[in-house]
Amino acid sequence: MKMSDNTLKKVSADECSQLNIDISINYQQFELTINLAMPLKGITGIFGHSASGKSTLLRAIAGLEKKLFGDITLGETNLVNSEQGNYLKPEARHIGLVFQNSRLFEHLSVLGNLEYAVKRCKHNKLVLNEVIKLTELSSLLEHRIHQLSGGQQQRVALARAILAEPKLLLLDEPLSALDQHSKTKLLKMMLNIQKQLNLPMLYVSHSLDELQQVCDTLLVLSQGRVVNFGSIHHVIHQLNNFGEDPLIHQQTSLSLPIKKFNNGHGLTVLSLNAQQDIYLTSDKAFEHQTQLRCFILASDISISLTEPINSSIVNHLFGSIKQISYIKSNVLLTINCASQEFFVTISAFSQQKLSLTSRQQVYLQFKASAVRTFIH
Amino acid sequence: MINSDFQALITTLEMAALTTIILLIIGTPLAWYLAKMTSRCKVIIEAIVALPLVLPPTVLGFYLLIAFSPEYLPGKLWQQVTGQQLAFSFSAIVMGSVLYSLPFVVQPLQKAFEQLGDSLLEAGALLGAGPIDRFFSIVLPLTKASFITAASLGFAHTVGEFGVILMIGGNIPGETRVLSIALFDHVEAFDYARAHLLAISLLIGSMLLLAAIYWLNLPKRNPSVSANQLRIHE
Repeated sequence: MKMSDNTLKKVSADECSQLNIDISINYQQFELTINLAMPLKGITGIFGHSASGKSTLLRAIAGLEKKLFGDITLGETNLVNSEQGNYLKPEARHIGLVFQNSRLFEHLSVLGNLEYAVKRCKHNKLVLNEVIKLTELSSLLEHRIHQLSGGQQQRVALARAILAEPKLLLLDEPLSALDQHSKTKLLKMMLNIQKQLNLPMLYVSHSLDELQQVCDTLLVLSQGRVVNFGSIHHVIHQLNNFGEDPLIHQQTSLSLPIKKFNNGHGLTVLSLNAQQDIYLTSDKAFEHQTQLRCFILASDISISLTEPINSSIVNHLFGSIKQISYIKSNVLLTINCASQEFFVTISAFSQQKLSLTSRQQVYLQFKASAVRTFIH
Repeated sequence: MINSDFQALITTLEMAALTTIILLIIGTPLAWYLAKMTSRCKVIIEAIVALPLVLPPTVLGFYLLIAFSPEYLPGKLWQQVTGQQLAFSFSAIVMGSVLYSLPFVVQPLQKAFEQLGDSLLEAGALLGAGPIDRFFSIVLPLTKASFITAASLGFAHTVGEFGVILMIGGNIPGETRVLSIALFDHVEAFDYARAHLLAISLLIGSMLLLAAIYWLNLPKRNPSVSANQLRIHE
């Protein structure tokens, strides 16, 4: 086992630490203009509506979008420079891409698909069997592609992309066609692979919940332009002010240390700060973790002016109102609990009743079950 | 006497086999080019390729006869290079057949390439496969049935050729005398017994070949069907 750990580690050297993009793509109905220096570390999420340019950006990086102007550099390697007429072909870029619809070769078996990548890989640092183990494909190797479920197909696609030993892995909504169970399974797998192989990933999705769980940084695109780029929690909090949007659930996004796994009553305790804790429902998946990503929807938190001692609701935090913004018939409150911002939506009716003001001291309350994690 | 029919059979098979090989070599890139082409010139090239389907073979044969004669450039060049006359030679009927059977090879291939689309080729490229590699490792296996169809149709159509060969090949035993011409000869000489023999052999042979093609193209055996389903997802 020790041996295999060594063989797996650091396929992608740290050399490609940054992706510099300065491009514009013009179609009749659509324009993409992006100028961004992206440090490649862990998983970077790319979020946006359909037609926001997410997939086009990935295709441009991979070399599948030929009609672009500008410059893309990955680490030391110039991928495109339209001024100098440089255009590195996709097969020479060492960039992997997992598509929404797996794109497996139907004329080959599962193993055949994996070997297709291995045969064309220049370095062969990765051991085929290790990748098969990581993606849990051992029992499927002889299967034909059409015999596989959607989730299994995406696992094969993921394994195949990894076996080409890319310097950067692009994921274009790889989970969008899957059921919830397959989604969480694949997300966990991606996280594990990212850590084991130290392979930087760009992960496109229109689900903030997924991105919140796996990404360290988040890029938000809208109508072909960068709206926001930064650390995941920060960017998600900024999106809260976007107003009504079917894809954005206003939320508080947190990474907190686990203080106690299972307090004896089926609750796990997270440490928010020196004085305050957050309780959530235990899951055995938390057991060996020290840190937990979770989110609380703004609509799941309520406000009380007095401390709600006589309540079944386990979480109550003390804080002061930082900002009050009116969005249609709702009111979005930004509340500081020590150094952590929380976001709460209440109705305009409640706001009128409580007449909350800026800097007012309030209690937040939410149930343990309102603290959500995507991966169980 | 039967010997001469046997010789015609050999000439026919040689001509059809050589024609099929040449057609696959030039038809594949042409079909690929047409499948990927987006410019307006596409319809012009498609029309030219399809022309032999509608044109009387004698029209094609007539122009080829002129082109192949030593007075005109193609025939003159041929004579300078090979020292032999092009018209009324085996080479002439092979060239004629290539033009005559072109649509039968190009059209099924073009359709198969269009159906296959770009998605799997993009996947292949990102796994490090170059264009030639992608053709042999992805396109060829997934369009195998269409290649067999194209080759069989090209072969069968060449075997059944008459008008073009009559115009540019004449009737030289061992050189340009093919089965369809031999059959015509027997009918002209009122040798209906031998005409029957040739006619029924050609009929059964063609029938079997076509049946084989349709059997190969049964939906469950055709990998391009799954390629089709893949496209629906996009």
